[in-house]
Amino acid sequence: MARNKFDVDEKLKSEINFSQIKRLWSYIVKFKKSLYLAIVLMLINSVLNLLPPYLTAMVIDVCLPNKDFNLLYMLAGGIVVSEILIWINTGARAKVINKVGMGLVRDLRYDVYNHMQYLPLSYFDSRPHGKILIRVVNYINAIAHLFSDGIVDIVANLFTIVVIIVFMLFMDVKLTLVCLLAIPIFIIFILLLKSKHRKAWQTLSAKQSNLTAYISENISGMKVTQSFAREEKNYETFDSLCRENKKYWMKARYIEFAIPVTVNILSVVTVLAIYLIGASRIGTHTLTLGVLIAFASYVTRFWTPISTLANYYNQVVTCSAYIERIFETLDEPLVITDLEDATDLPEMKGNVEFDNVTFTYEEGEPNVLENVSFSVKAGESIALVGPTGAGKSTIINLLSRFYDIQGGKILIDGHDIKHATLKSLRTQMGVMLQDSFLFSGTIKENIRYGKLDATDEEIIKAAKTVCAHDFIMAMPQGYDTMINERGSSLSVGQRQLIAFARTLLSNPKILILDEATSSIDTETEILLQKGLHELLKGRTSFIVAHRLSTIKQCDCIMHIANKNISERGTHEELLEKKGAYYDLYQAQFKFLNID
Amino acid sequence: MDTLRWLSKYFKKYSILLIITIILTFGYVAFNYVHPIIIGKIVDLIQNMVETASFQIDKNQLLIYSAVILGAIIGKEACFYIKGCINEHISQNIVMQIRCELFARLEALDCRFFEKNKTGDILSRLTSDIDSVKAVLTGTVPQIVQSLSFFVIGFGIVISVSPILAIALFAVSPLVAYFAIVLGKKLKPTFIGQREAISELNSVAQENIDGNKVVKAYAREEFETEKFQKSNENYYNKHMHFVYTWVKYYPRLTFSVNLTNVVFILVGGYLTLTGHATVGQYATVNGILWCIVSPMQLLGTLLNQIQQASASTIKLRKLYDATPDIRNHKVLKRDTAIEGKITFKNVTFSYEKDRVLKSINFTANPGDTVAIIGPTGSGKSSIVNLISRFYDPREGTVYIDDINIKNIDLNTVRKSVAIAMQDIFLFSDTIANNIAYGIPTATREDIIKVAKDADAHEFISKLPDGYDTIVGERGVGLSGGQRQRISLARALLKNPSILILDDTTSAVDMETEFSIQQTLENNYKNKTTIIIAHRISSVKNADLILVMNGGHLIEWGNHNQLLNQNGYYKHVYDSQFGDFTNTGTIDVDYPNFNSFKMGGTK
Repeated sequence: MARNKFDVDEKLKSEINFSQIKRLWSYIVKFKKSLYLAIVLMLINSVLNLLPPYLTAMVIDVCLPNKDFNLLYMLAGGIVVSEILIWINTGARAKVINKVGMGLVRDLRYDVYNHMQYLPLSYFDSRPHGKILIRVVNYINAIAHLFSDGIVDIVANLFTIVVIIVFMLFMDVKLTLVCLLAIPIFIIFILLLKSKHRKAWQTLSAKQSNLTAYISENISGMKVTQSFAREEKNYETFDSLCRENKKYWMKARYIEFAIPVTVNILSVVTVLAIYLIGASRIGTHTLTLGVLIAFASYVTRFWTPISTLANYYNQVVTCSAYIERIFETLDEPLVITDLEDATDLPEMKGNVEFDNVTFTYEEGEPNVLENVSFSVKAGESIALVGPTGAGKSTIINLLSRFYDIQGGKILIDGHDIKHATLKSLRTQMGVMLQDSFLFSGTIKENIRYGKLDATDEEIIKAAKTVCAHDFIMAMPQGYDTMINERGSSLSVGQRQLIAFARTLLSNPKILILDEATSSIDTETEILLQKGLHELLKGRTSFIVAHRLSTIKQCDCIMHIANKNISERGTHEELLEKKGAYYDLYQAQFKFLNID
Repeated sequence: MDTLRWLSKYFKKYSILLIITIILTFGYVAFNYVHPIIIGKIVDLIQNMVETASFQIDKNQLLIYSAVILGAIIGKEACFYIKGCINEHISQNIVMQIRCELFARLEALDCRFFEKNKTGDILSRLTSDIDSVKAVLTGTVPQIVQSLSFFVIGFGIVISVSPILAIALFAVSPLVAYFAIVLGKKLKPTFIGQREAISELNSVAQENIDGNKVVKAYAREEFETEKFQKSNENYYNKHMHFVYTWVKYYPRLTFSVNLTNVVFILVGGYLTLTGHATVGQYATVNGILWCIVSPMQLLGTLLNQIQQASASTIKLRKLYDATPDIRNHKVLKRDTAIEGKITFKNVTFSYEKDRVLKSINFTANPGDTVAIIGPTGSGKSSIVNLISRFYDPREGTVYIDDINIKNIDLNTVRKSVAIAMQDIFLFSDTIANNIAYGIPTATREDIIKVAKDADAHEFISKLPDGYDTIVGERGVGLSGGQRQRISLARALLKNPSILILDDTTSAVDMETEFSIQQTLENNYKNKTTIIIAHRISSVKNADLILVMNGGHLIEWGNHNQLLNQNGYYKHVYDSQFGDFTNTGTIDVDYPNFNSFKMGGTK
């Protein structure tokens, strides 16, 4: 599997495109009414904002020369009233705009996260987790403004521009055209910069993702870092990642700063041009000075919204780099998903059949399993043995349909699991993984993960069955003891027992134990086996283990080697066969030096 | 304000650049005045032309004016651009410095810190919290400087024109100050709330991503999305709470600021009308009023940004101030390398309240192999944690080479002790880099050698990219046994004086385990080796076997001595041995282990 690591930029699958924008739009459309309201409020606001300066001007122009006290009070009162209106308007607008922006963030995040839940294991296994995390949290947060205040601003400013152009056209068509001539120049400039500009932000977002990946992995692995006294070296790496971030940030900003600079220069140049052309036209009596001055003041006003729009454009470019990544996640194919004709598996009996199964983790790589066939009757227990990396865990992964096979069929009670809904398949299957992952929370909550509506009694019963009850009760808060992320406050053996209880609680018809008890001491293991013996009754079970005591009581032992099952049979049968299993078994005597 | 003070110390380094930006700001403002003035002149020129009815414009003059305007705008924009870049340069460097300092801080913190704080929380400190400080540095600080200078100049002019009017203007300021303080106070908790909500989002999502296989195994996708949606909604609500608070208090502030205009009109107008001030003075002050009002209008936004950053800096400074319990303390200078003698003298230890080790005594001489065996949670890994000084004992002392471990340089301890941990953590990097984690300068030959010793070379060579195969986070993609062997190779490469193998071969088949043991015995004879294991086969050759139960050391001795003691060890031996004698049955007479419990669990 091609994997990404912290110092390698992730390749972007597809640049922002029209369909992405259309989909984003569908998120915004939900808040259509609020947006309209915000725009109306914005327009009212621009009118309101004109009042106080107008009233203030009247004081000097009318009130003071006329020594009119009453008018003075009235004007002051008028300003107070308009300020109160502005107050109300500002508040209302802020509420509406933020509801839109944050609502959009919330909805988009929900969809990305929800989609992520159904992505295949390979998605998570092929990149540092920090790179996934940054998309769900930071990237989405970053685009909030673009679609709330941003859109309102854009509408209000476009409106202003149109109004000004209309006014200018009424005054003088030729001068208006001169003024508008600057727009294509500006657009050409932006287009020339565009690819560099976009590239800069895209690179930066990849660098940010690298940094996050490095930080997040290093926090988790700090104990290893400290035990290997590698702090300095890691600091150097971190420092260089930060430097790289700074470098690309600066690069992006250098380009970004050039845009307002251009707007300002163009605005002054157009004003100047208007005056120069205007002067010669006054010379030819086709223009009056009054019109020229008024027109020039409109030109200045014309550029103010454009510079706001240019800022918005900068934001759009920045956010595009994030939006691309967000949609990349949303568009990530689910791979392992319910087929259209998928039906719920009926209640499982536990017959399992592999029919000529061929599998490889990645297309083009050598097969891990080739034409594997076996069938297991309900209630049987199967042990999988063989050298590490032979494919024991793979067989188990295929049963839960963590991966799809390239050839053959896997049947449960005669139903092809490929045509069953994932939920009905996995909820009836109990998998205990090699790495017993626990969530932060109480012990009780962790066991309950196996069956969400389990009562406390059921939880305790499951814990007792796997011999976890005693050590749990010895903890300060018993079942309500909080455990850390991954259960790092517990010993590995304790974690395995809790994970075991969690699996049992789900009352699976097929139970899969993948090295589930490797870190459990002999004492607990023996106790566990007694309980387990009861437990395995009526369930089909697949067990991967190295301890022969666990293995030899199984109904059938399969030795996996060379991409297939090399031997199968009961413990006794295999011993008689004197094959690989026999060697394995004999080895134990040798190692114990029992003569 | 604390925040600004805290940040200000980072600015010291950049005083020259800061002076340059101030000069550039002045240049920018000055150039800004040129173009309206020249435009005025052009208008005069045109007016002159109209009035004299000559309709002949002085072209040379016009050319000069145009050149001046173009020069001024280019000068102005150059100032703006350079100023912006310098600002960005300074703030980016400061952000980088803070981030690196925090990272170094984290590296110095001990296990207890990482147990108490979630990964997602710490991650939020180094990412989004620092980003919000960055926003203040790039946006707010320059804005404050600019606003302040406008305000001071404006007020100065007003005083020089009319002290009475200045007092009138000043009358509003207590109100403005009051509302500003209230706004700041009310906003702060809402920002802290938002920061916490982001941390929570990070934590929940981070855990979910890490545990994605468990989620799938139990088909708990809906449950997980629902769980996350709570945090997602919480973040939304926390943000809206901020918005509501802002909406409640911010317009009051702006209103009071704008009241300045009204007060000025009333008082100024009154004073003018009653003859205490001239209309001219009134007009001048009126013209300059924006210099005073607009910085105050910005006050709300600035406060907003400052409080936002201060919510983050509170968290950042907490991380700064966190001190590890485990640190160098009266380190004794020594020139010789650690030989590897380990002594536990009356060591008692607890993670929280409950004691997990009780009066442990033992000595391992350099080159000895010590094995520790005992039930789950009996304290085996705790002993190991004390030897590499991840924790300090509550009572008693751990000695290495007869020196209290607390008096040995921490770095020396960690370099001399290598652990292959039970809880294996591999980094998402190549296998070669993972093995070379302790010795980044190791050559490929060194790496292959230890990989061979750990019996990992064969399977690594079979991987598509061999030693350059990248493993997933935490070693995803490798089996438990493969991870254990890479972790062992990583420990061996360090060439330590003390080698600790904490359940290192539990997921490896017996044959492999045996061959690893043989190699270790032959090639690493001179190292003090501590082995934690459950299989008798792994421990029986040790010079000293320690049997742990409930935090007590209940039996010790070598294999034969322990068998003769006929205690816990013998029973474990029998039960494992039972596999071979009672072929085909599992109904062995299981020993009653409970009789060996020394009340340790209570």
